[in-house]
Amino acid sequence: LTLYLDNELRGVELAKVEAHLTECESCAAILARELGFLKAVRECGPLHIASPALREKIERLLNEGRVSVDAAQSPRTARTDVRFRWVVAAAAVLLVLLLPVVIWRVATQTDSPSNTKPSSFALMAADTHLRITRGQLPLETESASPQQISDWFSNKVPFSVKLPNYQESSGQEKLYTLEGARLVGFQNEYAAYVGYRMKQRPISLVITSDSVAKPSGGEEIASRGLRFHYNAIDGLKVITWSDRGLTYALVSDLEERGQQSCIVCHAGTKDRDFIEPLKPR
Amino acid sequence: MMDGLRSNAVFGQAALEHIDALYGYAMTLTRDSTRAEDLLQETYMRATRAANRPDSDSNLKGWMFVIMRNAWLNQVRHENAGPLFVDLDSTESTGNPQDNPHVVYLRKLERKQVREAIESLPDAYREIVILRDIEGFSYQEIATVLDCPAGTVMSRLGRARGRLKKMLSAWQTKAHVRAV
Repeated sequence: LTLYLDNELRGVELAKVEAHLTECESCAAILARELGFLKAVRECGPLHIASPALREKIERLLNEGRVSVDAAQSPRTARTDVRFRWVVAAAAVLLVLLLPVVIWRVATQTDSPSNTKPSSFALMAADTHLRITRGQLPLETESASPQQISDWFSNKVPFSVKLPNYQESSGQEKLYTLEGARLVGFQNEYAAYVGYRMKQRPISLVITSDSVAKPSGGEEIASRGLRFHYNAIDGLKVITWSDRGLTYALVSDLEERGQQSCIVCHAGTKDRDFIEPLKPR
Repeated sequence: MMDGLRSNAVFGQAALEHIDALYGYAMTLTRDSTRAEDLLQETYMRATRAANRPDSDSNLKGWMFVIMRNAWLNQVRHENAGPLFVDLDSTESTGNPQDNPHVVYLRKLERKQVREAIESLPDAYREIVILRDIEGFSYQEIATVLDCPAGTVMSRLGRARGRLKKMLSAWQTKAHVRAV
């Protein structure tokens, strides 16, 4: 109901809540009460208004800033214009010379996976990550123990999940915490979802059989004999790959390509050269 | 408007539209009108000089809130200053003049109570209520401003509203007793 009141629901979820509210009197009563409360809060604003004197000061600041920025830029702009014209002319000549080569490369690489749209598995992983972080999808089991989570998946998914236990065995400072797991539906099968947290930020690992999902799309990066596919979906960094019969998706909002999230399975110093190629150049 | 914000004149005009929202947020952060004015000027100055201006007007407000929050955190780090408490501004809206004067009075009273309740919330709760319920940012936009996950936004907002409800129901009970 909170997500509904905050206009955070879309599509099917929104329709479901709206349909429920027409049928359920007690939920409709709760909604009315919450709406009344939020209306009172939302109507009490604005709490503060900038005085006319302050507004004038800011306007002056913006005008002065504009003048000084324009003045500082003008001689440079003139010089840049001349240089820019030469660059454009050179680029045009180069383009004419290279055009046949470019056309031939495009024609011969039409099935190249780089820079294509994300796979449905990557999209599902990103969507699951969002729903988990919004509290719309609860974890079915909560534990910080990789062994317990691995055991929980046995007989629930048609493949074996063995989460590494690097942190405990290395005695290193904990860089991330394991939060729990749940099952998620994908292509009429169950996939395994594992939730982590690093520096207060959530990381999701989704695993399924490689007969169900093949990584594809996005930017392709090779490392240690594996091919990783990197996508940015709804502001999230999604890395998908296949290894030994399983396909993985790692989702986070960490920096760059989110390659730091790889340490949930590769925390050792020996794995640094494994993560390194995923960094943007 | 897509490329418009690249131009300084259009940017200045668009940025000025958010002055009240930004001043309100500056008051939320500083709890002091002088400091809020300084923070507001600092924010506009940084925004004017920034090279990474957003392309569209729809992102401008959130972008400026992020600048303001970072500028404030920098100041606090340097000065090691804690938040200060000040009275609310007396910029009351008079409401619809056709309303019954008693209703106007009650509404004004209620608004005052709600404002006071918001102001007396702990800093983190007050900030999130302002961002969501007064400024109307989405969970994802708030997560960007506060540099935290959207899940944290949701749980913190829930706790803040819970606290606010408790305060307001205590006030309503008192008001009811007084009326009886």
